[in-house]
Amino acid sequence: MSNNDILDMYIYETNTLLEQLESIVLDAEKENTFSQDNVNEIFRIMHTIKGSSAMMEFDTLAQVSHRIEDMFFLIREGTMSVVKDEDRPALFDVMLHSVDYFREEMEKVEAEQPLNKDVDSFLGNINSLIAKIKGEEIPEAAAPKAPAPAAAPAAEAAPAVAQTSEGSAEFPYGLRVFFDEGCGMENLRAFMLVTSVQGFCAEADFAYQPAGVENDSSLSETVIEHGFLLQFRSDADRARAVPVVMTAGSVHSYEEENYVPAPPPAPEHAAPAQEAAPAAQKAAPAPAAQAGAAQQHQGGQKESLISVGLSKLDQLSAIVGEIVITEAMVTGSPDLKGLHLDAFSKSARQLRKLTDELQDVSMSLRMIPVSNTFQKMNRIVRDMCKKLNKQVKLTLVGENTEVDKTIVDSIGDPIMHMVRNSMDHGIEENVEDRIAAGKDPVGEILLSAQDTGSEVIIQISDDGAGVNDEAVLAKAIRNGIASPEVEYSHKEILNFLMAPGFSTNVQVTEFSGRGVGMDVVKSGVESLGGSVSISSEQGKGMTTIMRIPLTMAIMDGMEVSVGDSIFTIPINNIRSSIKTTEAAILHDSVNGEMVKMLDGYYPVIRARDFYNLPGGAEKIDDGVLMWLESGDCSYCLFVDELLGEQQIVVKPLPAYVNNFDIKNFGITGCSILGDGNISIILDAGGLYAAARNG
Amino acid sequence: MSKENVLFQVEEDEVETLSPEDEGAGSRKHLIFTVDDLKIGIDAEQVVEIQNVYNATYLPMVPDYILGIFNMRGQIIPIMDIRLRLGKPPAEEGILIVIDYNNNQLGIQVDSVDLMLDIPVDSIVPIPSQSAQKLVSGMCTLPDGSGTMLVLDCEQLIARDYGM
Repeated sequence: MSNNDILDMYIYETNTLLEQLESIVLDAEKENTFSQDNVNEIFRIMHTIKGSSAMMEFDTLAQVSHRIEDMFFLIREGTMSVVKDEDRPALFDVMLHSVDYFREEMEKVEAEQPLNKDVDSFLGNINSLIAKIKGEEIPEAAAPKAPAPAAAPAAEAAPAVAQTSEGSAEFPYGLRVFFDEGCGMENLRAFMLVTSVQGFCAEADFAYQPAGVENDSSLSETVIEHGFLLQFRSDADRARAVPVVMTAGSVHSYEEENYVPAPPPAPEHAAPAQEAAPAAQKAAPAPAAQAGAAQQHQGGQKESLISVGLSKLDQLSAIVGEIVITEAMVTGSPDLKGLHLDAFSKSARQLRKLTDELQDVSMSLRMIPVSNTFQKMNRIVRDMCKKLNKQVKLTLVGENTEVDKTIVDSIGDPIMHMVRNSMDHGIEENVEDRIAAGKDPVGEILLSAQDTGSEVIIQISDDGAGVNDEAVLAKAIRNGIASPEVEYSHKEILNFLMAPGFSTNVQVTEFSGRGVGMDVVKSGVESLGGSVSISSEQGKGMTTIMRIPLTMAIMDGMEVSVGDSIFTIPINNIRSSIKTTEAAILHDSVNGEMVKMLDGYYPVIRARDFYNLPGGAEKIDDGVLMWLESGDCSYCLFVDELLGEQQIVVKPLPAYVNNFDIKNFGITGCSILGDGNISIILDAGGLYAAARNG
Repeated sequence: MSKENVLFQVEEDEVETLSPEDEGAGSRKHLIFTVDDLKIGIDAEQVVEIQNVYNATYLPMVPDYILGIFNMRGQIIPIMDIRLRLGKPPAEEGILIVIDYNNNQLGIQVDSVDLMLDIPVDSIVPIPSQSAQKLVSGMCTLPDGSGTMLVLDCEQLIARDYGM
C-alpha cells in the first residue's frame, strides 16, 4: 500500500464519516436532542477521525476532533440532559460547522494544499461550549470521568476505564491488532509483533492470542477475522506497545480493550462502544445491555467494503457487454441452422442464464442509492430556512432507490438547484400568506425517487405559491424568448422557465437566480438521456419531474426495420405501435401528415423519407406507426416492421461520422446485433426536432 | 482472417526479396493499392488490416462516399468509398483497407490491394502545386519501375474531413 493509497483511503473514509455525522446532526436537530446512540456514534466518528488524522499528521484536524470528542465524552457520560436547552442550538451549529470545516480541510488535503493552521477561534467555540456543559453538569456524574489526556490516540479513555473494570483476568490490558486485508502471512506478522514486544516487556508480563502463531499458518484465518490480541499485565506496557504496533508493517488498525467481565469483547471496530460499556455498567445494568446491543449492531453494520476505481467498473461493463453480444453470436450462429444439438442447446441455455446473471451483477456494482444526494438537501433546506426565515420541512421518499453512479453524480446539482428554487421562489415569503391560503404554516418540499425498471423518476415538488403564468410570460416577452402576439398555453409558458437565461426572480439572491437556472437543470438531465417536465398550479405549488434512464450503457430497445436498415428505438420512448391505413392519414397545407391517436392529432414522420433510405414501405398500409414520446414531443414514426424487443449495448458512433452532425438528426449511437450486424439507435427527441426544423 | 494474414505474409516475403538493401531509417513500408487505374500508397504503419468480406450498415444523413459502418470484432468502423471520395464512378465491389490515423479508424474501399513495398523517404516528392489532385501528400516512382505511386494523405482523409 503506497502512501497515496493510504491518503486516498483516509480522505474517502473521513468523507464518509462526515456524511454520516451530518445526517445524524440534522436529524438530531429536528428532535432537539441527541439520543444516546447518536452520541455514541458521533463519539466513534470523532474518535476515528482523530486517530486517522493524527496518523496522517494533520495535527489541526486531530486537535479539533479531539476537542469534539471530549465534548461528546461529557455528553455521553451525563446524557443529553447536561446540555441545557438554550445551549443546544449552539451545539448543533458547532457540529455542522465542524462538518463544514472538516470538508474544507479534506478538499485541501485532496488538492495537496496546506491546511488551515488557525483553528483557535473554532477550538475556542468548542471549548466554551464544553465549559457550559461542564458548568451545568450534575456533580456526581462529572467528577471521576473527566477524560485524561493520553499520548497515543485511542488511549485516553483507558484510565477512566481502568478504575471501573474489575481486573480479574491476569492480563487485563488488551491490544487487538488488525492487519491489512490480503497482506498475507498474518500469523507470521503477528509473531513478529510478539518478538518486538518482547524487546521491552518481560515474557511473563504479557500474553497473546491466538497462541502458536509462529508455526501454525492456519491461524491466519483467525487473525484476519478476530485480529491478533496482545494482553498486558500493566497499562504502561500497553502504552509502550502502541507505537510499536503502529510502526509495524501492514497493520491496518488496532484497538485497545480491557478485560470486562460482562459483555464479551466484540471484534471489529467496536472500540468506542466498548469503552462506553464499562462506564455505562457503573451507572446501571440496563444501559450496559444496551451498550452491548449497540456493539452487536455496529458489528453487523460493518460490511467488508472495498473501493474500486470507476474506470475499472466501466471496463467490466464494457467486457460484459461484449460477452452478451458474443454469446448471442455463438448461440445464434448461422452454422447451427437446421442442426439438432440437444447437448449444445442445453449448455447454451446455461450460458445464457449465466451471462444474464453476470450482466445483472456487473450493473449492480455501479448502482448506489440516491440517499447521499438526497441527504445533502436536508442541509440546504436547513440553511436556507435560517437565512430566508422560512419554515420548511423536507420530506424524502424512496431514498434507497439505486441508480448508476454516473447518474447519481450528475443529478446532485440539478436536484440542488430545484430545491433552492422551491425554497427561494416557491414557498411563500410570509407565513400569513400560507395561513390565508389555508395551508400548513410550515411549507413542505417533497423529494422523491422512484425506479420504474427502465428509468428513475425524480420528483421535486413544493406546496408553495406555484408559477404565476402572467409574470412568467411577461418576463419571457421581455427577454425576447416569447412573442407578444402569440397566445401561449399553460404548458408552453412553463417551458419558458427552462429556456436559457430565464430567471423570474427580480433580484439575484445568494441561492438562486444567477440568470442560469432551469436551463442548466434541463441540459444536465438531457445529457444523461433524460427529460425534465414542470407542472404547476397557481397557489398550490410546483412539481418538477426528471426522468432519467437507469443506465446508459445497456438498455431495452425495439428493433424496427426500414428497407434493409435496422434501427433501435429505446423502449421508454415508445408509447404504442399501430397498424393503420393510408385513409387515416390527414394532410395539412404544408405537406405535413398527421394521424389521430386516442386523444389528439400527432404528426407523422416517415423514417424512409426523412433519412432518404434506399428502401422501405411507401404505403402506410404496408408498415407500422410507432407512437413515440420524448420530453414534450409526441409523434408517430412510420417504419416497415417491428422485429422485436432486445436488450442492447449502446456503442458510440465513430468520431469520424459524428463529424457529419448526424447527432442532430436523431442518430446517437449504434449497437451490435446478435448476428454481428449493426443497428442504429434513434433518439426520438432529436429526430423530431430535426424533422420539425428541416 | 487467415486469408488476409497470408496475403500480408506473402507480400512481406516479396519485399524482403525485392529490396533487402532498402531496409533502414531512410525508407518506409507502403501498402500499394489500385483505385481506378491509379496506384496509391499508404504508410503501412497506418494499416490495421485488410478485409475481403465485410457487411456495411447503411448510415443515413452522411455524404454518399461514406458507405456506412461495419463491425470489426466489436469495433464500429466507418467505411469510405475512396472512388466516390475522389470523384470517380463507383465500382461494383472492392477490398477494404482499415487504417488507423491518430486513433481514428476508417475503412477505405479500394479496387484491389497490390503489394507492400519499401519506399525510400527521399524519393517521395510533393505533387505539382497546380495539380488539383485531392487527398494526396506526395508521389514517387516505384523502385521496381512499374509506375508512379501517389501517397495518400491520411490526415486530410480523416482529420480534416468535416461535413464536406
